[in-house]
Amino acid sequence: MTINTLAKGGCHREQMACFRKMEKVIVAMQDPDMGMKMRNQRLLITVIPHAMTGHDIITWLTHKYRISEEEALHLGNMLVKYGYIYPLKEPRCLVLRPDESPYRFQTPYFWTSTRWPASELDYAIYLAKKNIRKQGELMEYEKERYSLLHKRINHTWDFVVMQAREQLRSSKQRRKADRIVLECQEQAYWLINRPPVRSITLYCIQLYCVVHIEACRKALGRNRVKSSICLEGFLKYSEQYLNHDPIMQGCLPSNPWISDDTAHWTMNAEIVPVPTRLRVERWSFSFTELLNDAMGRKEFMTYLEKEFSAENLYFWQACEDIRHGENSKIVEKVEDVYKNFLAPGAARWVNIDSKTMDKTLEGIKRPHRFVMDDAQMHIYFLMKKDSYPRYLKSDLYKNMLAKAIVPQETKKSVFPFMRRQRHSSPSPAQTATQAAEEEGLAKGAGANSAAGSHF
Amino acid sequence: FNLIMGKEECKTMLDALNKVTACYRHLVIALGSTSDSQNLREELKKTRKKAQELAVANRTKLTSLLKDKTISKEDRAEYERLWVLFSSCMELLEVDMKRSLEIAQDFPLKVPTRHLIQTGMTGSTTTVAARAMSVQNMKYEADSNIDTADLRDLQAEITQVSQMMEEMEMKVQVMKVQVAPWAVEAKQEAGAELKSNMSVGNSSVGSREAGFASICAVIGFFVIVIVALVLGYLVVNM
Repeated sequence: MTINTLAKGGCHREQMACFRKMEKVIVAMQDPDMGMKMRNQRLLITVIPHAMTGHDIITWLTHKYRISEEEALHLGNMLVKYGYIYPLKEPRCLVLRPDESPYRFQTPYFWTSTRWPASELDYAIYLAKKNIRKQGELMEYEKERYSLLHKRINHTWDFVVMQAREQLRSSKQRRKADRIVLECQEQAYWLINRPPVRSITLYCIQLYCVVHIEACRKALGRNRVKSSICLEGFLKYSEQYLNHDPIMQGCLPSNPWISDDTAHWTMNAEIVPVPTRLRVERWSFSFTELLNDAMGRKEFMTYLEKEFSAENLYFWQACEDIRHGENSKIVEKVEDVYKNFLAPGAARWVNIDSKTMDKTLEGIKRPHRFVMDDAQMHIYFLMKKDSYPRYLKSDLYKNMLAKAIVPQETKKSVFPFMRRQRHSSPSPAQTATQAAEEEGLAKGAGANSAAGSHF
Repeated sequence: FNLIMGKEECKTMLDALNKVTACYRHLVIALGSTSDSQNLREELKKTRKKAQELAVANRTKLTSLLKDKTISKEDRAEYERLWVLFSSCMELLEVDMKRSLEIAQDFPLKVPTRHLIQTGMTGSTTTVAARAMSVQNMKYEADSNIDTADLRDLQAEITQVSQMMEEMEMKVQVMKVQVAPWAVEAKQEAGAELKSNMSVGNSSVGSREAGFASICAVIGFFVIVIVALVLGYLVVNM
């Protein structure tokens, strides 16, 4: 249970293409005939094979890929920078020198990999091993990281120590030459994956931290709603809209996608002589439902005119027009709105509180798309609190509701495979009742003629 | 008494798994390099299987101990600590297994055009494997196409291990053990590995080596003194 869970199952990452290409180059260098010329590295008593000079590497790259020396130097530097080749003298200087400096290949386990990023746990184990081997003589930055890690993954620190000791013991089983190579390999790997921090990068890290902290602070201040409350609201919404959902309840007279009968759409068009009952019912759900429906708006307007407060709705519509309309016409429209609704003595003067009025008048001097927002919101809430509830109780609305049509479900035709389906797909709740329903169906309405044409 | 036995047994089993994991990592590092061979592939296979056995044994033991409601608070804290160490060990093992599959696939031994990387490591890893398996000498019996045949087994085993780890995470919640890893405190302070210590199975590394060197020096010294005395006696008697 380390903090770094990147290596865990989850998403399958691919090795980045650039690394796969570098790997190909490295493998090509291993060819016994056409590959790199290897030399031996002589340490005090031990001799370790498979060393090569920087100069040899550049020559090989130049010949193999037929590139200039400059390009070969650059490519070679990439190979060193990403750890496929490491320097034997001055291991901290990750540069390819085109002279006699010795280099060696890195083992595939320690190749740079986007699939297997270096983990904190491994780094901690490495530092612990180094600590043991060097009797506490770590470099400054290593000491800092060591204590940081000790704090961060403290819960599993005992494992770090255990594993470090065991890894050292198992490497003692190899002969001296191999042990030296192993140490060099590991050191090279960690020099690349956890490079010594320079003061400049430290500054960048600090800057990033400050920005991140600010973002977190802002996030903490955001308004939150308890999920229990959200879910209650969602439940209420679902219950209210259950009968209006074509998937749950099916659409009358029939689902056009299945029966090829477009009656449903024609009946629910923007403007119809008589709206459907479900539609009129929806107007009572919320003010937005009423305003979003063209017919609903028309009806509401008729009502408001009776109440002599139609200017509110006209104002609201004009503001909506500004908000959603063309950029070029905004200035002109704002002028019109001011003339018709806001100017003292205007034909359709709207009643807005003084604070909002002042703010809006200020904004009109530099008109933009959202300059009317405050005023519009004020009028919206005015209508919602005052006119809307009265409208729902009014005779106008009730008559509309009574007049509204409920389209009949189309009659089942004689041939079973021509059956008009009410539901887009059989829902388990419906299959039981569907059989009973289809038995006692009333005669179809206007859709029958349409049904007749589909054989 | 039973509980004390349980704790000791757990620690021993965890130490064994830890050892095998360390050896397995060592072997995986050699994959694809000039140390790679048929024998290495077989060593990997054997070590891996041993690791899995130990993992299952550890898990069974720890879960049975953690399920027990009658244990004391200190004991519970100790078992939770062991559980955290056990999961970290399994994490390493899982990643190493996946990597060994990947590298073994990239470096098949029988394909002549695919060359091993000349890393400078040329010795065999048989002693490491022997250490993992707790035997004196490794016996090799696999047939010659182990590098390809074994990969299918490896893939199946990786799935097994991943599943086991998922179960472990879930089990911990089902048992309502609330093993909060951040609540577990390490027994060792920073730098503890430098001191020679007392806990089971973890004798210090440095002192042993120093001891051996000093014994050699003392013996050498005495040998030289004896030789000098003998020569002196002969010279005197000439």
